[in-house]
Amino acid sequence: MTGLGSSVREFLLAFADDEHLMGQQHTEWIGVAPFLEEDLAFSSIAQDELGHAAALYAIVAGDGDPVDNDLRIDELAFRPSPDDWRCAQLVEVASDDWAHALVRHWLYDSAEQLRWEQVAQSSLIPLAEAAARAEREERYHRRHADGLLDVLLPAADSAERLQAALADLLPLAIGIFDPVAGEAEVVATGVASAPFDTRLDEWKDRVRHRFDFDPDRIEPMAPTGRLVRHPDFGPLLVRMREVIDLDPAAVW
Amino acid sequence: MRRYEVFLKKDGRDEFRHAGSLDAPDDELALVLARESYARRAEGDRLWLVDRENVILGDLEFIASNSDKPHRHNDGKAIAEHRRNTREGGA
Repeated sequence: MTGLGSSVREFLLAFADDEHLMGQQHTEWIGVAPFLEEDLAFSSIAQDELGHAAALYAIVAGDGDPVDNDLRIDELAFRPSPDDWRCAQLVEVASDDWAHALVRHWLYDSAEQLRWEQVAQSSLIPLAEAAARAEREERYHRRHADGLLDVLLPAADSAERLQAALADLLPLAIGIFDPVAGEAEVVATGVASAPFDTRLDEWKDRVRHRFDFDPDRIEPMAPTGRLVRHPDFGPLLVRMREVIDLDPAAVW
Repeated sequence: MRRYEVFLKKDGRDEFRHAGSLDAPDDELALVLARESYARRAEGDRLWLVDRENVILGDLEFIASNSDKPHRHNDGKAIAEHRRNTREGGA
Protein backbone atom coordinates (compact mmCIF):
# COMPACT_ATOMS: atom_id res chain seq x y z
CA MET A 1 0.00 0.00 0.00
CA THR A 2 1.42 3.35 -1.01
CA GLY A 3 -0.73 5.51 1.24
CA LEU A 4 -4.33 6.64 1.12
CA GLY A 5 -5.28 9.65 -0.94
CA SER A 6 -7.27 12.35 0.82
CA SER A 7 -10.52 11.21 -0.85
CA VAL A 8 -10.16 7.65 0.39
CA ARG A 9 -9.22 8.97 3.82
CA GLU A 10 -12.38 11.10 3.96
CA PHE A 11 -14.46 8.17 2.73
CA LEU A 12 -13.11 5.83 5.43
CA LEU A 13 -13.42 8.49 8.11
CA ALA A 14 -17.09 9.08 7.26
CA PHE A 15 -17.81 5.34 7.56
CA ALA A 16 -15.77 5.06 10.78
CA ASP A 17 -17.45 8.09 12.35
CA ASP A 18 -20.90 6.70 11.58
CA GLU A 19 -19.98 3.34 13.13
CA HIS A 20 -18.38 5.01 16.12
CA LEU A 21 -21.33 7.25 16.93
CA MET A 22 -23.90 4.52 16.28
CA GLY A 23 -22.05 2.36 18.78
CA GLN A 24 -21.76 5.23 21.23
CA GLN A 25 -25.48 6.02 20.99
CA HIS A 26 -26.38 2.36 21.62
CA THR A 27 -24.12 2.25 24.67
CA GLU A 28 -26.22 4.96 26.28
CA TRP A 29 -28.95 2.29 26.72
CA ILE A 30 -26.73 0.07 28.86
CA GLY A 31 -28.58 -0.61 32.09
CA VAL A 32 -31.79 1.09 30.97
CA ALA A 33 -32.95 -1.02 28.00
CA PRO A 34 -36.52 -2.36 28.47
CA PHE A 35 -35.51 -5.76 29.89
CA LEU A 36 -32.34 -7.55 30.96
CA GLU A 37 -31.90 -9.84 27.95
CA GLU A 38 -32.40 -6.90 25.59
CA ASP A 39 -29.91 -4.84 27.58
CA LEU A 40 -27.24 -7.51 26.99
CA ALA A 41 -28.05 -7.90 23.31
CA PHE A 42 -28.12 -4.19 22.58
CA SER A 43 -24.85 -3.62 24.48
CA SER A 44 -23.24 -6.34 22.38
CA ILE A 45 -24.43 -4.69 19.20
CA ALA A 46 -22.98 -1.39 20.44
CA GLN A 47 -19.68 -3.14 21.05
CA ASP A 48 -19.71 -4.61 17.53
CA GLU A 49 -20.28 -1.18 15.97
CA LEU A 50 -17.44 0.29 18.01
CA GLY A 51 -15.27 -2.60 16.81
CA HIS A 52 -16.11 -1.79 13.18
CA ALA A 53 -15.21 1.85 13.84
CA ALA A 54 -11.89 0.84 15.41
CA ALA A 55 -11.08 -1.37 12.41
CA LEU A 56 -11.76 1.51 10.01
CA TYR A 57 -9.86 4.08 12.10
CA ALA A 58 -6.93 1.63 12.24
CA ILE A 59 -6.76 1.60 8.45
CA VAL A 60 -6.83 5.42 8.33
CA ALA A 61 -4.28 5.77 11.14
CA GLY A 62 -1.90 3.40 9.37
CA ASP A 63 -2.44 5.12 6.01
CA GLY A 64 -3.78 1.92 4.46
CA ASP A 65 -1.84 -0.56 6.56
CA PRO A 66 -3.90 -1.06 9.76
CA VAL A 67 -2.12 -0.04 12.97
CA ASP A 68 -2.50 -1.91 16.24
CA ASN A 69 -2.04 1.18 18.37
CA ASP A 70 -4.89 2.41 20.58
CA LEU A 71 -3.42 5.89 21.00
CA ARG A 72 -3.33 6.52 17.27
CA ILE A 73 -6.86 5.13 16.90
CA ASP A 74 -8.05 7.33 19.80
CA GLU A 75 -6.55 10.39 18.13
CA LEU A 76 -8.92 9.83 15.22
CA ALA A 77 -11.86 8.58 17.26
CA PHE A 78 -12.00 11.50 19.68
CA ARG A 79 -11.14 14.51 17.52
CA PRO A 80 -11.90 17.62 19.56
CA SER A 81 -13.22 19.82 16.74
CA PRO A 82 -16.76 19.01 15.49
CA ASP A 83 -15.78 20.41 12.08
CA ASP A 84 -13.36 17.52 11.61
CA TRP A 85 -16.06 14.87 11.94
CA ARG A 86 -17.70 13.29 8.89
CA CYS A 87 -20.67 11.48 10.45
CA ALA A 88 -24.27 11.54 9.26
CA GLN A 89 -26.83 13.35 11.40
CA LEU A 90 -28.77 10.09 11.93
CA VAL A 91 -26.08 8.94 14.35
CA GLU A 92 -25.64 12.37 15.97
CA VAL A 93 -29.23 12.95 17.04
CA ALA A 94 -30.08 12.10 20.66
CA SER A 95 -32.53 9.26 21.29
CA ASP A 96 -34.17 9.24 24.70
CA ASP A 97 -37.03 6.98 23.67
CA TRP A 98 -36.68 3.24 23.14
CA ALA A 99 -38.90 3.16 20.03
CA HIS A 100 -36.70 5.88 18.55
CA ALA A 101 -33.50 3.97 19.37
CA LEU A 102 -34.92 0.74 17.90
CA VAL A 103 -36.05 2.37 14.64
CA ARG A 104 -32.66 4.03 14.29
CA HIS A 105 -30.96 0.67 14.92
CA TRP A 106 -33.01 -0.87 12.09
CA LEU A 107 -32.55 2.07 9.69
CA TYR A 108 -28.83 2.22 10.32
CA ASP A 109 -28.14 -1.50 10.09
CA SER A 110 -30.22 -2.00 6.95
CA ALA A 111 -28.10 0.70 5.27
CA GLU A 112 -24.89 -0.58 6.85
CA GLN A 113 -25.33 -3.95 5.15
CA LEU A 114 -25.42 -2.24 1.74
CA ARG A 115 -22.48 -0.06 2.69
CA TRP A 116 -20.22 -3.01 3.55
CA GLU A 117 -21.31 -4.68 0.31
CA GLN A 118 -19.92 -1.66 -1.58
CA VAL A 119 -16.44 -2.40 -0.21
CA ALA A 120 -16.59 -6.22 0.04
CA GLN A 121 -14.41 -6.49 -3.09
CA SER A 122 -12.36 -3.39 -2.30
CA SER A 123 -8.93 -2.85 -3.83
CA LEU A 124 -7.95 -1.81 -0.31
CA ILE A 125 -7.48 -5.32 1.09
CA PRO A 126 -7.81 -4.53 4.84
CA LEU A 127 -11.14 -2.84 4.04
CA ALA A 128 -12.42 -5.92 2.20
CA GLU A 129 -11.34 -8.04 5.17
CA ALA A 130 -13.13 -5.72 7.61
CA ALA A 131 -16.26 -6.01 5.44
CA ALA A 132 -16.22 -9.81 5.68
CA ARG A 133 -15.82 -9.70 9.47
CA ALA A 134 -18.50 -7.05 9.89
CA GLU A 135 -21.09 -8.92 7.85
CA ARG A 136 -20.87 -11.93 10.16
CA GLU A 137 -21.91 -9.65 13.03
CA GLU A 138 -24.40 -7.61 11.04
CA ARG A 139 -26.46 -10.70 10.27
CA TYR A 140 -27.12 -10.88 14.01
CA HIS A 141 -27.89 -7.16 14.27
CA ARG A 142 -30.50 -7.34 11.54
CA ARG A 143 -32.12 -10.42 13.03
CA HIS A 144 -32.28 -8.64 16.38
CA ALA A 145 -33.86 -5.46 14.96
CA ASP A 146 -36.29 -7.38 12.75
CA GLY A 147 -37.21 -9.76 15.55
CA LEU A 148 -38.25 -6.87 17.78
CA LEU A 149 -40.12 -5.05 15.01
CA ASP A 150 -41.95 -8.27 14.05
CA VAL A 151 -43.37 -8.37 17.57
CA LEU A 152 -43.91 -4.65 18.12
CA LEU A 153 -45.27 -3.38 14.78
CA PRO A 154 -48.47 -5.45 14.88
CA ALA A 155 -49.39 -3.99 18.30
CA ALA A 156 -51.29 -0.70 17.98
CA ASP A 157 -49.64 1.13 20.86
CA SER A 158 -46.06 0.30 19.94
CA ALA A 159 -46.72 0.68 16.20
CA GLU A 160 -47.84 4.26 16.78
CA ARG A 161 -44.62 5.09 18.63
CA LEU A 162 -42.44 3.33 16.07
CA GLN A 163 -44.11 5.10 13.15
CA ALA A 164 -43.67 8.47 14.88
CA ALA A 165 -39.98 7.68 15.37
CA LEU A 166 -39.70 6.64 11.72
CA ALA A 167 -41.21 9.94 10.50
CA ASP A 168 -38.77 11.79 12.75
CA LEU A 169 -35.68 9.82 11.71
CA LEU A 170 -36.19 9.24 7.97
CA PRO A 171 -34.98 12.66 6.76
CA LEU A 172 -31.76 12.15 8.71
CA ALA A 173 -31.44 8.47 7.75
CA ILE A 174 -31.41 9.30 4.04
CA GLY A 175 -28.36 11.42 4.92
CA ILE A 176 -26.33 8.21 5.45
CA PHE A 177 -26.21 8.04 1.65
CA ASP A 178 -24.83 11.61 1.51
CA PRO A 179 -21.27 11.18 0.14
CA VAL A 180 -18.11 12.95 1.22
CA ALA A 181 -16.33 15.04 -1.40
CA GLY A 182 -14.13 12.87 -3.59
CA GLU A 183 -16.31 9.74 -3.61
CA ALA A 184 -15.86 9.53 -7.41
CA GLU A 185 -12.14 9.00 -6.89
CA VAL A 186 -12.83 6.34 -4.26
CA VAL A 187 -14.88 4.45 -6.85
CA ALA A 188 -12.36 5.07 -9.65
CA THR A 189 -9.57 3.47 -7.60
CA GLY A 190 -11.73 0.45 -6.79
CA VAL A 191 -11.85 1.13 -3.05
CA ALA A 192 -15.66 1.11 -3.35
CA SER A 193 -17.57 -0.60 -6.17
CA ALA A 194 -19.99 2.29 -6.86
CA PRO A 195 -21.25 5.52 -5.26
CA PHE A 196 -23.24 4.62 -2.14
CA ASP A 197 -26.34 6.51 -3.26
CA THR A 198 -26.77 4.00 -6.09
CA ARG A 199 -28.19 1.75 -3.33
CA LEU A 200 -30.63 4.36 -1.99
CA ASP A 201 -33.68 3.07 -3.91
CA GLU A 202 -33.03 -0.47 -2.73
CA TRP A 203 -32.82 0.76 0.85
CA LYS A 204 -36.07 2.74 0.48
CA ASP A 205 -37.76 -0.46 -0.72
CA ARG A 206 -36.62 -2.17 2.45
CA VAL A 207 -38.08 0.67 4.53
CA ARG A 208 -41.36 0.48 2.58
CA HIS A 209 -41.60 -3.25 3.07
CA ARG A 210 -40.64 -3.15 6.76
CA PHE A 211 -42.78 -0.25 7.96
CA ASP A 212 -45.51 -0.17 5.30
CA PHE A 213 -44.64 3.50 4.84
CA ASP A 214 -43.40 5.21 1.68
CA PRO A 215 -40.13 7.03 2.48
CA ASP A 216 -40.69 9.27 -0.55
CA ARG A 217 -43.46 10.96 1.43
CA ILE A 218 -40.73 12.44 3.63
CA GLU A 219 -38.70 15.44 2.59
CA PRO A 220 -35.03 14.42 3.05
CA MET A 221 -32.61 16.88 4.62
CA ALA A 222 -30.52 18.80 2.08
CA PRO A 223 -27.17 17.08 1.40
CA THR A 224 -24.29 18.74 3.26
CA GLY A 225 -21.38 16.55 2.21
CA ARG A 226 -21.33 15.50 5.89
CA LEU A 227 -19.96 18.89 6.91
CA VAL A 228 -22.86 20.14 9.06
CA ARG A 229 -23.31 18.75 12.59
CA HIS A 230 -26.67 18.18 14.27
CA PRO A 231 -27.32 20.37 17.36
CA ASP A 232 -27.15 17.21 19.53
CA PHE A 233 -23.59 16.50 18.39
CA GLY A 234 -21.92 19.05 20.68
CA PRO A 235 -23.19 17.60 23.98
CA LEU A 236 -22.51 14.07 22.69
CA LEU A 237 -18.87 14.91 21.95
CA VAL A 238 -18.48 16.44 25.42
CA ARG A 239 -19.80 13.19 26.98
CA MET A 240 -17.49 11.10 24.82
CA ARG A 241 -14.45 13.23 25.64
CA GLU A 242 -15.26 13.48 29.33
CA VAL A 243 -12.46 11.15 30.41
CA ILE A 244 -9.87 11.95 27.77
CA ASP A 245 -10.25 15.67 28.58
CA LEU A 246 -9.33 15.05 32.23
CA ASP A 247 -5.77 14.40 31.14
CA PRO A 248 -5.16 14.38 27.38
CA ALA A 249 -1.55 13.24 27.86
CA ALA A 250 -2.40 10.20 30.01
CA VAL A 251 -1.26 6.81 28.77
CA TRP A 252 -3.85 4.05 29.42
CA MET B 1 -43.25 -12.47 27.60
CA ARG B 2 -42.59 -16.18 27.58
CA ARG B 3 -39.98 -17.95 29.66
CA TYR B 4 -37.46 -20.24 27.96
CA GLU B 5 -34.96 -22.73 29.34
CA VAL B 6 -31.57 -22.62 27.61
CA PHE B 7 -29.34 -25.67 27.01
CA LEU B 8 -25.88 -25.52 25.50
CA LYS B 9 -23.15 -27.88 24.41
CA LYS B 10 -19.90 -27.64 22.55
CA ASP B 11 -19.58 -29.52 19.30
CA GLY B 12 -18.31 -33.05 19.92
CA ARG B 13 -17.87 -32.54 23.64
CA ASP B 14 -20.02 -33.36 26.62
CA GLU B 15 -23.79 -33.41 26.60
CA PHE B 16 -26.29 -30.59 26.58
CA ARG B 17 -26.30 -28.77 29.90
CA HIS B 18 -28.82 -26.39 31.35
CA ALA B 19 -27.32 -22.89 31.05
CA GLY B 20 -30.16 -20.83 32.51
CA SER B 21 -33.41 -19.27 31.47
CA LEU B 22 -34.55 -16.12 29.76
CA ASP B 23 -37.62 -14.04 28.98
CA ALA B 24 -38.52 -13.28 25.37
CA PRO B 25 -41.73 -12.43 23.51
CA ASP B 26 -41.42 -15.23 20.91
CA ASP B 27 -39.21 -18.08 19.68
CA GLU B 28 -37.22 -15.98 17.20
CA LEU B 29 -36.29 -13.33 19.77
CA ALA B 30 -35.58 -16.04 22.32
CA LEU B 31 -32.94 -17.42 19.94
CA VAL B 32 -31.49 -13.97 19.28
CA LEU B 33 -31.36 -13.08 22.97
CA ALA B 34 -30.11 -16.49 24.13
CA ARG B 35 -27.04 -16.05 21.97
CA GLU B 36 -26.01 -12.88 23.77
CA SER B 37 -27.21 -13.93 27.22
CA TYR B 38 -25.54 -17.36 27.32
CA ALA B 39 -23.17 -17.93 24.40
CA ARG B 40 -21.30 -14.65 23.98
CA ARG B 41 -18.09 -16.11 25.40
CA ALA B 42 -18.24 -19.24 23.24
CA GLU B 43 -19.75 -21.32 26.05
CA GLY B 44 -21.23 -23.58 23.38
CA ASP B 45 -22.14 -23.69 19.73
CA ARG B 46 -25.15 -26.01 19.95
CA LEU B 47 -28.28 -24.58 21.51
CA TRP B 48 -31.61 -25.97 22.62
CA LEU B 49 -34.34 -23.61 23.71
CA VAL B 50 -37.40 -24.97 25.45
CA ASP B 51 -40.50 -22.94 26.15
CA ARG B 52 -41.10 -23.63 29.82
CA GLU B 53 -44.76 -24.37 29.09
CA ASN B 54 -43.57 -27.40 27.15
CA VAL B 55 -41.57 -28.82 30.02
CA ILE B 56 -43.30 -31.82 31.61
CA LEU B 57 -42.87 -31.64 35.35
CA GLY B 58 -42.33 -34.73 37.47
CA ASP B 59 -44.32 -34.74 40.69
CA LEU B 60 -42.00 -34.83 43.72
CA GLU B 61 -43.99 -37.54 45.57
CA PHE B 62 -44.15 -39.71 42.49
CA ILE B 63 -40.50 -39.46 41.43
CA ALA B 64 -38.86 -39.69 44.87
CA SER B 65 -40.66 -42.92 45.88
CA ASN B 66 -37.83 -45.47 46.11
CA SER B 67 -35.86 -44.33 49.14
CA ASP B 68 -36.95 -47.55 50.93
CA LYS B 69 -35.33 -49.86 48.37
CA PRO B 70 -31.66 -50.17 49.36
CA HIS B 71 -31.20 -53.20 47.06
CA ARG B 72 -31.47 -50.79 44.11
CA HIS B 73 -28.43 -48.95 45.39
CA ASN B 74 -26.10 -51.98 45.24
CA ASP B 75 -22.53 -50.81 44.64
CA GLY B 76 -21.13 -54.37 44.60
CA LYS B 77 -19.38 -54.17 47.98
CA ALA B 78 -21.49 -56.89 49.66
CA ILE B 79 -20.99 -59.30 46.79
CA ALA B 80 -17.25 -58.59 46.62
CA GLU B 81 -17.02 -59.25 50.36
CA HIS B 82 -18.99 -62.52 50.03
CA ARG B 83 -16.78 -63.77 47.17
CA ARG B 84 -13.58 -62.87 49.02
CA ASN B 85 -14.74 -64.81 52.09
CA THR B 86 -15.71 -67.80 49.98
CA ARG B 87 -12.36 -67.75 48.16
CA GLU B 88 -10.29 -67.48 51.35
CA GLY B 89 -12.44 -70.06 53.23
CA GLY B 90 -12.17 -72.56 50.35
CA ALA B 91 -8.36 -72.29 49.96
